[in-house]
Amino acid sequence: MGRAREGITLLVTTAEATRSKPPEADSGAYPDPLRRPGPRRGPLSGVRIADFCWMGVGACATRLLGDFGATVIRIENRANLDMPRRLPIYKGEVRTYGDEDANPDPNKGGLFNNYNRNKLGVTLNMRDPRGRELADRLIASSSVLTENFAPGVMERWGLTYERVRELSPAVIYARMSGFGHTGPHAENKSYGPVVQAVSGLSHISGLPGEEPSGWGLSYMDNEAAFFNAAALMMAIYNRNLTGLGSEIDVSAVEAGINLLGPLLLDVSVNGRSTRGPEFPPGNRLEEPHAAPHGVYPCVGEDRWIAIAVFDEVEWRALVAAMGNPAWASEARFATLAARVANQDALDAKMAAWTADKDRFVLMHGLQAVGVRAGAVQTAEDLNETDPQIAERGVYFEMDHPVIGEARFEGTPIQFSSIPQENWRSAPLLAEDNAYVFKTLLGMGDEEFETLTAEGVL
Amino acid sequence: MGAQSLKPATKTPPPFTGLRVIELAEDPAGEYAGRLLAEMGAEVLKLEPVDGAPSRKVGPWAGGVAGPETSLNFRYYNSNKRSVLLEVTAPGGVAALKSLTANADVFITTLQPAALKAIGLDLAVLHAEQPSLIILSVTAFGLTGPWADYKSSDLIALAAGGPLNSCGYDDHSIPPIRPGGNQGYHTAASFAHIGAMLALLNRQQTGEGQLVDVSMHEACAVNIELANPYWFYPRINVQRQTCRHAQPSPTQSALFRSADDRFVYFALILSDPRAWAALVKWMDGKGMAADLVEPAYNDLAYRQAHFYEIQSLVECFFLIQTAHEAYHDGQAAGLPIGVLNAPEDLFEDEHLLARGFFKEVEEADGSSALYPGPSYVFSAFDAVPRTRAPKLGEHQVAELAR
Repeated sequence: MGRAREGITLLVTTAEATRSKPPEADSGAYPDPLRRPGPRRGPLSGVRIADFCWMGVGACATRLLGDFGATVIRIENRANLDMPRRLPIYKGEVRTYGDEDANPDPNKGGLFNNYNRNKLGVTLNMRDPRGRELADRLIASSSVLTENFAPGVMERWGLTYERVRELSPAVIYARMSGFGHTGPHAENKSYGPVVQAVSGLSHISGLPGEEPSGWGLSYMDNEAAFFNAAALMMAIYNRNLTGLGSEIDVSAVEAGINLLGPLLLDVSVNGRSTRGPEFPPGNRLEEPHAAPHGVYPCVGEDRWIAIAVFDEVEWRALVAAMGNPAWASEARFATLAARVANQDALDAKMAAWTADKDRFVLMHGLQAVGVRAGAVQTAEDLNETDPQIAERGVYFEMDHPVIGEARFEGTPIQFSSIPQENWRSAPLLAEDNAYVFKTLLGMGDEEFETLTAEGVL
Repeated sequence: MGAQSLKPATKTPPPFTGLRVIELAEDPAGEYAGRLLAEMGAEVLKLEPVDGAPSRKVGPWAGGVAGPETSLNFRYYNSNKRSVLLEVTAPGGVAALKSLTANADVFITTLQPAALKAIGLDLAVLHAEQPSLIILSVTAFGLTGPWADYKSSDLIALAAGGPLNSCGYDDHSIPPIRPGGNQGYHTAASFAHIGAMLALLNRQQTGEGQLVDVSMHEACAVNIELANPYWFYPRINVQRQTCRHAQPSPTQSALFRSADDRFVYFALILSDPRAWAALVKWMDGKGMAADLVEPAYNDLAYRQAHFYEIQSLVECFFLIQTAHEAYHDGQAAGLPIGVLNAPEDLFEDEHLLARGFFKEVEEADGSSALYPGPSYVFSAFDAVPRTRAPKLGEHQVAELAR
């Protein structure tokens, strides 16, 4: 029986316990009363996070905490807007990632909205000593501090773990970086594709003897975010048990190496080399043995189905579904070992069979007889036609004052009683300045007006 | 600076110390979830049929010899666990399972609805019977919905869940290519860990357990990064490209071959003046900048108009140096550049060596092997030292005596 079962007292910092009354006085700051923050529910309610995270990794990590009850206060710099605010992922306007809008509306970016729902947003000028002093006050009123800047940025603002602990004694200070905060490459610059390259995830992906196909997304921005979110929650769980805070150092590269899987032990135990003409295996599996195991063309432009057959039962079901073609009874396909040995010929037969078929009809027909099959789905398919996702509702919609109705990617977990409280789309730039600085930190109207006019807020 | 350098006089035990987890997992998603709990102190009891968990039948094999105790697949996902034999499909199997979960905090299961029904295990009933238990169900498609009993695999999950559509080559006559390493299962495990954490935090608040239903399909569907917002907003599907972001329209290659026939990843972004200046300075230092030092190139429009010449010069520049030289010098120049390491390169990486990342684990046969270290470093507590995966039924006697 775990420690958790025995009487737990939730550790709530004084500042949180005495959290101010609802911001009646500031109602003018929210033209739409539905955007005014209220009390939060969920397993992280009562946790206030001073959140310096930006870009993808950090924002995606703290999004998870905000979804489940934490009060996440995003601290932004007007002079150096978060990249997702600048990237031109707009409704009704198709641009490629690198094709930047020269003069973006910071409130129009879809990627920012996607990463920052259920959070508050404030602006602070950290170049001004008054801005840094306000950051200190914000940290002192919070029990968690998060950041994913290049190593050294927080230190330049004096925000070492020692200093932050003076401000908020049981603080959890999460440092999210590409390489971790120690070691000779700690200062290396990185983002998803660089982490994927350095950790080995790109090298192990592709056709044998060809250049690696690697990843077509920043998988490690997302995965590092999930590791960071879990680490934050483990530290909060531990603080609830012990009263002690923690500094957290997550290296995205080290998370990526953990994700390499059993292949890593083949290298470390067996001295196996992953260079040479036989590796990586493309869509085939080295282990466990499976054949056919591939992605085959279907009717339509760039439409594909994945089929994976692991044993004789599944093979016989596939052969029956194909109408028992003569080739399937040839000796070279008679056993799993034979099929693995003759995969080039087998894949050609499979591709010829799938090519004139609809990927979804094929998927459902094969699944109905117990064959593992999945259409390669686009984001459009997932969002518009996937009945499984539609029934379970992992995507949801919320309104945004500038963007309008927008869709969000939710959490792929259903709980019997834990709510995901989607209370608001992403904050407009500085939307919560009045609420956070006046209502939560008790700043007077006059000071607030002065600091706003002088560009500190 | 950094959590590793901060060693308080006393650390607390890792947070899951004293938590007992019963794991009935048949795939890497459930097994990796159990491993992540064991890493931070949970006692994870792995239930196996008498002929061993399915993962023991999957290679690679230590020394190339197949057998229940030599699966490196099993070792990777099951270190720090305890092994007990239990045939849940046999008469009385479910009752025995329930007597184990009655004294546990978390129960991990990967059985899909039809398999649960076949053995007579109803998770909603179990939740009602044992209300403080956290039931962590990690399945291919979730416990409900029209596809709940569809069969999956890592490839199927990545295909139907969306990531595969973004991965492959510029040449679209080649099918999308699965990224290596069980990433569909690992994505599900990441969300299983998050689901377990939320349920544990909730139990700290309320004392109540939880039925947690994690879907690998949905985990993949929210792990496609830009593909989702590109559909949510401009309503366009991204197109896969060789080893770089899938985009609405094609972009230039970011993979460069080096003198030693390896690769580096470098996205040439012309619009950033600082990155441009750093690149030209770096190339000029090696006498390879050619006319890029001309003032005309300070103008973005001029750079864009001469894009192909620039790309050719950069290709030549990487071809005269090794991949590691390019990686280290490029990083020193302030550019986000990455060498495409092979797994075998990692054990010699000076940064990982300095951080002491890889850990030596003694195996049952007395040999030792390097395993990856903790996924995160905390100043308040340490992960438990990584220990070998259990032999089949190794803890049977000890557990029966409990």
